[in-house]
Order: sequence, then C-alpha cells, then structure tokens
Amino acid sequence: MHALIQGLILGVLTAGVYALMASGQTLIFGVMKVVNLAQGAMVILSAYLAYGLFTSFGVDPLLAIPVTTVAMFILGVAVQLAFLRPLHDEDRSELSLLVTFAVALLIEGFMSVTWRTTDRSINTSYANSSWSVGGYQITLVRLWAFLLSIAALGVLLLLLNRTRFGRAIRATVQNPESARLLGVESNRVSAIGFGLGTATAAAAGSIYGLLYPFNPGSHYDLISRLLSIVVLGGLGSIAGAIVGALIVSTSSAVVAATISPAWSEMTFFVILILVLLLRPQGIFGTTGRGAI
Amino acid sequence: MSFRVRLHSKFSALAVVTAVALLIAGCASSNSSSGSASSTQPLVIGASVSLTGDFADSGKAVQRGYQLWADTVNANGGILGRKVQLKIVDDASSPTQVVTNYQNLINKDHVDLTFGPFSTLLTIPASQVAKRYGYAFLAPAGGGPDVFAQNLDNFFFVQPAPTIKSGDVFADYILSLSKADRPKTAAYVELDDPFSAPIAENIRARFEAAGIKTVYKQVYPSETQDLSSVMAAVAAKKPDVIVGGTQSEDAYSQVKSLVQLKYNPAFMYQSNGANSPLEFPKNVGPQNTAGIFSSADWYPGSKASGSAAFTSAYIAKYGGSAQTVDDSSAEAYAVGQVLQEEAAKTGKIDNATIIKTLHSGTWPTILGNLSWSANGAPNGSFNLVQWQGGKLVPVYPPSVAQAQPVFPKPNWGG
Repeated sequence: MHALIQGLILGVLTAGVYALMASGQTLIFGVMKVVNLAQGAMVILSAYLAYGLFTSFGVDPLLAIPVTTVAMFILGVAVQLAFLRPLHDEDRSELSLLVTFAVALLIEGFMSVTWRTTDRSINTSYANSSWSVGGYQITLVRLWAFLLSIAALGVLLLLLNRTRFGRAIRATVQNPESARLLGVESNRVSAIGFGLGTATAAAAGSIYGLLYPFNPGSHYDLISRLLSIVVLGGLGSIAGAIVGALIVSTSSAVVAATISPAWSEMTFFVILILVLLLRPQGIFGTTGRGAI
Repeated sequence: MSFRVRLHSKFSALAVVTAVALLIAGCASSNSSSGSASSTQPLVIGASVSLTGDFADSGKAVQRGYQLWADTVNANGGILGRKVQLKIVDDASSPTQVVTNYQNLINKDHVDLTFGPFSTLLTIPASQVAKRYGYAFLAPAGGGPDVFAQNLDNFFFVQPAPTIKSGDVFADYILSLSKADRPKTAAYVELDDPFSAPIAENIRARFEAAGIKTVYKQVYPSETQDLSSVMAAVAAKKPDVIVGGTQSEDAYSQVKSLVQLKYNPAFMYQSNGANSPLEFPKNVGPQNTAGIFSSADWYPGSKASGSAAFTSAYIAKYGGSAQTVDDSSAEAYAVGQVLQEEAAKTGKIDNATIIKTLHSGTWPTILGNLSWSANGAPNGSFNLVQWQGGKLVPVYPPSVAQAQPVFPKPNWGG
C-alpha cells in the first residue's frame, strides 16, 4: 500500500513534465498538422544546454530556462522555415514525419559529437532533495516541475486565448483559408507556432536533466511516450495533453511500484488501445478541425 | 569492465549505412595497399575496433590501450627484437563489418596476430573468423555467456572472470562476515540485459543458500527511464542489502531515487555504473557515493603487475588523471601484456604457440593474475571496490584490499 501511494505521488508529479513536452507537440500538430518527431530530441538538446550552462557558468538549470526557451524558439522557427515550409500542403502531414525525424537524427548527431555519448546528469544541490509528508516523499524537483508546467501551460493558454497572435493561431487551426483571406499571415503564424511548440521543450529539458541521467539517444524513448500521450489526449488538444500525461505517468508509476516495470508500458498501451477503440480521435480530440 | 551492449535497433540502420560506406572506401583503397607484407621485421598486429557507432566511446578507449601498450613495448625494444606495428580498423560497431575487417586483416594485410574488438556482439563473429584461420584471439571485452558457449580453443577473454561472475566477489565478502554483521534481508533490482541481471541472480543464489531472505526482486526493461517507483517499492520493504544488476544510466537512477526516497540500506552493491571513477560521482553527486560497492578489474591505484607504469604512461600520453583512465583501455593494455609474457616465456611469437601456451599457467597483468579454461573463460574473480572518501578503493579480497570495507553504509549526502 505504501509503495502504491508513493508511486501515485511520483506519477502525478512526473505528469507535469510530460504535459509540458506534450503541449508543445500538440500545439504544433494543431497549428500545422505536423507531427514533430524531433520534439524529444529538442527536449534532450535543452537538457544539454542547461547542463552546459550549469557546468560551465554555474547557472541554475531552472534559471537557465528563459535562455534555453529563446534558443529553442529560434531553433524551431529555423526548422520550420528551412525544412517544413518547402513541403506542399497536400502531403505535409506525411512528409513532415520524415523531415522531423531527420531533424531529430541531426540533433542527435550534433549532441553525440559535442557532448559524447556518456550519460550526463545535472546535479544541483537540490537535485535529490525531498520533503517527507506523512511518511511519503515528495521530491522537490518533481514538485517544481509540476508547478512550472502548470505555469508554462497557463502562459501558453493565455497567449492562445487572450492575444491577437493567439487568435491568429486559433483561426489558422480552425480554417487556414478563411484566416488567410482575413489577413492572417499564415506562413508567419506557422513559423512562430512551431517555434512556440519547440520552446516548451526548453523548460521540459531543464527538468528532465534534473530528474534523469540522459544521453544523445534518450530522445527515442521520450518521443514514443510523447506521441502516445498526444494521441491518447487527442491530437491538437492541450487539455488532452495534460490528461494524457496524467494517465501515462500515473499508470506506469503505479504498475511499476506494485506489479512490475515490465508491465507498466504495457498497461498504458492497453489504455491507449481501449481509448482509440471507443473514441478514435482521442479523449479530447475533435474529428473536424477545431479548438486547440 | 564496461559492457554496454544494448544495441538500439534505431541505430542499426545508421550503422548499416556507415558500414556500406566503409566497405566501399575499403574496396577503393585496397588496390593501393597490396604487396609487401612478407617482411618478418615488424610484428604486425591487427584489430578491428569500434571508432564510430554505438560502441565508439569504449572502442576508442580500447584503441588507446592497444596503442599505449605498443608504444611502451617499442620504447623498450619491441617483442623478441621485433617492433610492434598496430593495424587498427573501424567496424562502426557492426557485427558484419567486424567480420569483413578481420578477414581483410588476415587474408589481405597478412597480419601476424589479431587482438579483439569491443563488446560480445562483435567478439563472437570476430573470434570465429580468427578460429577459421588458426589465429589466437585475445579479447579485452566481450565476456558474455554466448562467447564461451562457442567453445573456441583460440579464444582468451582478458579479464579476471566471465562478466556474469563479476559480482561473486560481493557475495564472497558478505558471506565472510560474521552472522551478526551479515544482512538479514535483501532486495534485487536488475536490468533486463545479459550483462546485468545474471550478475545479481548469481549473488541472489549465494545469498539465499546462506539464509539471507529475499524481500524484493524486480527485473526492469532497459527502456525504463524512471526507476523511482520501483525503488519506492524497494524502500517500502526496508531491505538490509540492495543488489543492483546495473549498467550505467539505471545505476545512477537507482541511487538518485533512493536519495530522494530517503532510504539508506546497510549495504548497497551495483554490478556496473558505480565502478566508474569519473562518471558515477558526476551523475549521482559525489556526496552520495559513500559506501556503495561495485566490482572492478582495474582501478586507479591498483597494485597489480605493471599498473603504476601503465597509469603514468597513460596520463603522459593522453592527459587527465588516474581517475579518468577508462577501464577498457586497461583491459586492452593487458591483452598486450599477456602476449609479451608469452613471448618472454616461450621465446616464440606465433599463433599456434600462443594458443598452446596460454591454456596453462597464470599470467600477471594490470588486471591481476589471469588464467584460462579450455573455452577461454578466465578462472579468477573481480575485485570488490567501495566508494570511500570520494574515491573508489579496493576492499576485498584481502590480498588486494587497500582499506577495510565500511559498513553499515554511511547515510546519503554524508
């Protein structure tokens, strides 16, 4: 019982990190109908950037987030301009898989050459701290990750719902042709939208580096999990990404603590298949083009 | 003792492409390098090493070890008056390229002797090529059970023991303690990998036979990136000893999770990961290393034959400190040492003599004294090392110990 509750606490807190990564993923899909297979690689790249800033300049990985966010935003915009814009609208979704996978491999190669393939961890003084509450441990970094994710998601939702730019994005998602006719520069919106999506990788990267050892190949496991979360929640839905992250994270933590880690992925995929059978568009997904 | 052999299948496509490119490059250059290999002057030793691909880091460490040994031996006049000349080629961590490489080394370059590659995955096909042409095959890495199951008489694994027996020394140590000091309960957390779980399982068999109760046992797949909930289940059982069958990343995760969960066992052993003098403290934090046990063949400050000379030569050539010497380099260097001693003993340096001679006797190296069974499995045991005062120190068996083992384990961060 103790292990179950502890597993539940860990799962809920970890969900925040995944929600953050997945929200970027789902935003990109919502805006551009592009499945970004490089999102995981960008998270790991951000972790390396935070690691570099921490080991070379002593910058705390959480304080480094604004810097890495800007860097990832620029990278995202550059990737969109250089690789995705040239794709034709009619087969963009299919080709984007190949293109973004190539970007993921490029980033991975860059990381292997720059930081080699040994595992790295960001070891701040608080990296392994935790609070004891009623015999259970609440790990500090996970709690911060959770709060940070909520804050970042809040900013993202405000941006989408309360700004002109957000309206332009939502308009592009709902009806790109009409949006264009009404003067929305959909090319610019797409580039910035992609940049925003990848920028969420920055905060997630700092947190990931504090929580887990990572190496250039870490993004493979990450991207498969991210895609599952996004599909479970419904492609293009940020609320869906949050709920998907909660389901993935708590189910795998609880199953790993009580049954076996070998079954934890399996359990989640069973949930995924059941959801897809009953609601093929995902929990929060819509069949037509819709709200983010 | 690095045996990272998890080959991510996603990498293999890349490896194939690289292998094809190398093959083309190899064909193109082969015309120019044919000819006069018949000179008996230099002793040409060929080896295929992973300079690119999954095993590149360890492969390069092996290359450094071979090169350092060749330089050392040449500075002292060579082997039996012959200068050693290394011919090292890249296999891109690919089991097909490694075969091509050894076939080329043997048939085209007519090397006198062959040394082994890195990892079991590559050692198996490579040793078969060597066997076909009657070459002795001394390998610094690749000690998985499948290697010895081939029953090749030309194969010698240059480490103190087969990999899956590397944890036996921890069982020896624990069972040498008095009944009162011994742990009563044990938890086993094992990576599902032929080089990790079996090490912990061997320890478990010994512990259970001695009456140490198993309160928890779990095998996790290699893609389990978050071990915190598994370790939460371990902590809930409050075991006296935690035995980790680990590689690297998962070893760090186990430690980090236990620190966060504030559970400190009286004894903690990790088969791998914790034995890296450089990477382990970097990943878990130096303050969290105290008291953790692991297994090692070579370690900084080893008193084994030639180790001090090896360490200073390594630092002189490659920089760094004793703590940054990769154990794969030490293992590769030991391969050369074995060869050197065989030549000194028999006065001959040919494959048939090497194969015949190495099957008997013991051979002092920087990894300790080595000896081999008929299938090339070494008969010795690893050393038990423990983190004390921020350093990895040998503590068992008493013949190599430089400090007393510390127990119970100091608290995390202490």
